Amino acid sequence: MQKEKILSDQEIEILQEMMNISFGKSAADLADVIDTHVVLSVPFIRIMQVPELPTYFKEHVKEFKTVSVIEQKFMGRFKGDALLVFSSGAGRELIKMLHQETRAGFESDPIDILERETLMEVGNILIGACVGKLAELLKDVVTYTPPAIVVERNYDHAVSVTRYDPNDTAIVLKTDFSFDDGDVSGSLLLITSNDSVSWMKEALRLFIEQYE
Amino acid sequence: MIKKILIVDDSPVARKMLKSCLPKDEGYEFHEAGDGREGFEKYKDIAPAVTFMDLTMPVMSGYEAIEAIINHDKNAVIIVVTADVQMKAINRVLELGAYMVLKKPLKREDIQSALSKVNDTFQKV
Repeated sequence: MQKEKILSDQEIEILQEMMNISFGKSAADLADVIDTHVVLSVPFIRIMQVPELPTYFKEHVKEFKTVSVIEQKFMGRFKGDALLVFSSGAGRELIKMLHQETRAGFESDPIDILERETLMEVGNILIGACVGKLAELLKDVVTYTPPAIVVERNYDHAVSVTRYDPNDTAIVLKTDFSFDDGDVSGSLLLITSNDSVSWMKEALRLFIEQYE
Repeated sequence: MIKKILIVDDSPVARKMLKSCLPKDEGYEFHEAGDGREGFEKYKDIAPAVTFMDLTMPVMSGYEAIEAIINHDKNAVIIVVTADVQMKAINRVLELGAYMVLKKPLKREDIQSALSKVNDTFQKV
């Protein structure tokens, strides 16, 4: 299937607006937990062949010395992988921000465990709220696998795309973010394959039909 | 009575969604802009009764555009329509002078009630 033909320009625009709405909800949910403002960027949709993914990912994290990545699969008619990529040092920065709010855990747990748990918690909020809202807008319900995490690794050792079918086409929904307080930035990438494109096209049509 | 409405949003789909939520029989004259800078320029040209403003946009954000428009016309009626529903974002735009904030995805009743409120307050539309 030619990548240009998978989704029309209008379908991509609808998906982009849905991603905007969905990540907005994620950011608000996170801001309820951490007293910060998550600065959002315009979401971006890119359709590419699976072998292009590593170069694409690398290009977007090239300024980070190391990355922490929380990965979660979501399954429904809308299915794929969510990758939440944080900049170097984000885990420790988030510990400070989160535990200033909750006043818990900081003293007693080893820092590496706390860092992992904090990243998992923030990842759970951002991925769950965003994918959940996106599925809701698409009139779907998704379930999730438990999150997997790698902390402060070189990018090459943090993300693997070998599990994807190299003959497949990937639809990448990406939004970048940073925090007003604290030196934290990153990206949320949702990667879905062309398996569910027919269903997605119909779901997008039904969504926009409400506004015709 | 002039009924100019300016919609500033980088997403053509979002602009279409917003227009579809507005009553069809009111004779509104729609103007559109794809980023904050274009929105500010159009505001100066057409002096709309109401401006619907997104926040997350390229070139010039909604925050900057609100500031520019309010500096130009302190009586501007700007309704922010955004997916960014963080309290800090809402408080910031209200401090900058936005009239109210509506959450995406829009519902017809929300937008019509917002316009009624503007009408009651300013007799603008």
